[in-house]
Amino acid sequence: MKNQLLHVFRNTPFGRETFLQSIYFCKMTGLHLKVFIPKHPQFLMYFSREVVTVDLDKSYLRSLETARGHAEELIREAGIDASFLEPRRYTASTLPDIPVDFGFMTCPRTVSDLSSKVGLGYIGPRVRAIIRNAVFPVVIPRSVYKEWKQIVVFFGGSANALNAFRLGVKLQLLSGLPLALFTYAEKKPKSYYEGILEEQNLLSGIRTGGVEWRFIEKGSFKDGLYHVSHDALVVAGAYGHGLIRELVFGNMMEEIQSILPNNLVIVGPNFVEE
Amino acid sequence: MGFSLSFLLRKFLFRLDERLQLIIVAALVGLGGGYAAVALNSGLQSGSLYLFPLRSHWYAVFFPAVGAALSVFFLHHLVRDIGGHGVPEVIYSVTRRGGLLRFRSSFSRLVSCFLTIASGGSAGPEAPVVISGASIGSNIASFFYLKDRQRTVIVGCGAAAAIAAIFNAPATGIAFALEAILGEWTPINVVPIAIASVVGTEVSRALQGNQIPFRHHIFHISNADLAACLGLALLTAMSSVIFMRLLRVVSAKAGVIIRKVWLRAAAGGLLVGLIGLAMPDVLGEGYEYIREIIDGQYAASIFIAGALVLAKILATSFTIGSGGSGGVFAPCLVIGSLTGLFFQRGLESLFPHMTWAGESYFGLLGMAGVVSSVLQAPMTGIFLIIEITGGYDVLISVVVVSVLSATLSHFFEPHSIYHIELIKRGELLRPRTDARVLSELSVMELLEKDCRVVHPEMRLRDFVSIVEASHRDYFPVVDSEDGRFVGMIHLDDIRSFLFDTRLHDSVLVEELVNRNVVSVSPEDELPDILRTFDETHSWSLPVVQSGKFLGLISKATLLDHYRKELMAQEAG
Repeated sequence: MKNQLLHVFRNTPFGRETFLQSIYFCKMTGLHLKVFIPKHPQFLMYFSREVVTVDLDKSYLRSLETARGHAEELIREAGIDASFLEPRRYTASTLPDIPVDFGFMTCPRTVSDLSSKVGLGYIGPRVRAIIRNAVFPVVIPRSVYKEWKQIVVFFGGSANALNAFRLGVKLQLLSGLPLALFTYAEKKPKSYYEGILEEQNLLSGIRTGGVEWRFIEKGSFKDGLYHVSHDALVVAGAYGHGLIRELVFGNMMEEIQSILPNNLVIVGPNFVEE
Repeated sequence: MGFSLSFLLRKFLFRLDERLQLIIVAALVGLGGGYAAVALNSGLQSGSLYLFPLRSHWYAVFFPAVGAALSVFFLHHLVRDIGGHGVPEVIYSVTRRGGLLRFRSSFSRLVSCFLTIASGGSAGPEAPVVISGASIGSNIASFFYLKDRQRTVIVGCGAAAAIAAIFNAPATGIAFALEAILGEWTPINVVPIAIASVVGTEVSRALQGNQIPFRHHIFHISNADLAACLGLALLTAMSSVIFMRLLRVVSAKAGVIIRKVWLRAAAGGLLVGLIGLAMPDVLGEGYEYIREIIDGQYAASIFIAGALVLAKILATSFTIGSGGSGGVFAPCLVIGSLTGLFFQRGLESLFPHMTWAGESYFGLLGMAGVVSSVLQAPMTGIFLIIEITGGYDVLISVVVVSVLSATLSHFFEPHSIYHIELIKRGELLRPRTDARVLSELSVMELLEKDCRVVHPEMRLRDFVSIVEASHRDYFPVVDSEDGRFVGMIHLDDIRSFLFDTRLHDSVLVEELVNRNVVSVSPEDELPDILRTFDETHSWSLPVVQSGKFLGLISKATLLDHYRKELMAQEAG
């Protein structure tokens, strides 16, 4: 199911916006959209080392009788390839298990709190747990539907950033959109980052001009973010540097997702590139 | 610093032999399981101490209702966990999910169970302690990056430690984990489970003292007593079947009658409170009454004993069936001991001139019979009775009643109370069964992508040249425009066309394709696919998703992977 994007459908105006983002993502990448309409307030995702219990806020269970119709209508209008996920396994009668072998998953920044409580700069604990454990990248859409015209990868030299770059290249191939690499220098010379990319055979795309590299050397990281195009899909690794990166996102990641209004794709530490 | 320590711990463990890894982690889990059991046990003792004097008041009738409602509120709204006693969840995780359990399960059921039982609900603390111990085990195993198979054993260790600690009975912990949770006795399982069980017991002894739960008595067992065991086995089997069926009915109906979970639990609790007004002995876990029966101090006529059996069955069904938190282990012991008492009173009435071994003897055997029947785990029943009474002189009688009762009840209720729910959902996969082996494999693992795809507009000549270069008998046909799967060509079906060269330029692939071919999806279960192979007499089936052809799955590859997986599981 690596060619599928999982979307947990919410039958609300806010849910419609995020669903439109997933539809657009699939349209651009040719992925199959797998729609899950939850019927219970929780579902489980069994990852290799952890079970993540996704406690859904009440809005996910609103107007269940019209949910499928609404989703089908939007899928039909978009003309994309989609199907609905019916859980086959249940840990308990009201606790379905959702497969975890998708290519991507769309998650709003929080699924367990009411959307009204969502503020910029906050990613809910369940979404964090999914990112931490998943082998697939997580798409975090903004609250209003917005198309993207280019892909920007944040590259700070870490292993996750390398994975993010690889994913960016894959998305570029699938969508045909231009790809840019965004690096904040952190007092290191450009050659340092080039060396990392060279080691992984990832520098050739930049040298041939297929990938634009925006290398920010001056000013703060926050100031640099202004140069990220408003219509870009931002791809970033989940964790930055630091001792506690196993539990929480690094500072840089928090800053990216709290400052940028763009749609994000986050590559977690267990991401497996196919 | 904390992270560095965890890193060093993992590094240290990684360097050890796998068996040694299991032993070390099992000991840690034994500590966790032991502490969980002692915490709940101490909590229940304190709760009973405070609430017992109040039970004589009229308002005590509402205690179980309030406790059950609070228990559900805590479980569903505060920690957002699910109801039930949790043992099926542990077995499901062992059979289907490599022993992965949620962290919240390590404490949620302990608190909710305390609220249910301390307020007078008729349930036992064992199942919540089992899921707690198992969850502690699962999370410790994940912390140390143990493999799925190792984690499964460690989950069993947690369950064993919990049972061993709560009953101060290490052998019972081992038997329970192997018989009821893991479902297999293998050398690789037994050693770590035994260690966890012993550590759990030692924790319990260190914190609560080395007490045998029920005092040991010397019995003078005659041949008549042994013969009477046959009758008692019949009676305990009957009690067990009635209990299991009533619990199932109440669970099914309660959800339909009252939709709100807390209200349902409160209603169940109120019914228990009303039963408790007439027969207070059915409230709570009931160990003190078992103790009285075994000490021969329980004054009840045959009618009262019979009524108490039914009342305890009803009270437990209302408590657990309506959503209260707790297990069936302790109620089984109470129902069993009361059944034994009822039987003994009956014997004395029917044969007043004979000398019988006494109510203690039949009470013990009754417990073994009901536990063995309801759990379909005779070894657990036998070990439990021997260990908690400290007496081996009843061994033969216990074996007779346990085995016979489990066999008789199996005729009417073939599955353990812990397995029924899983069997209904088709999720119980016992070790070394085809379904269990196949559950470890997925369609995508077996997908063969090296097949040549042909298109409907292709001429037979071109198709023949593809056949010549291929080693396959099956050729999927895919629409060249939209990539949709059209059908399959099996060489056996078109062999006559292949050798008639006059047709090579006039026949197209679309005229040869079988459009009614059965396809499978990547999400299908392998046992279902194996069934499809048999029904269609095919050797290869196309895997299609949303109309797109992904590859072929062949019977030979499936059986080959099955064999390899079986060997891996056998190797442990």
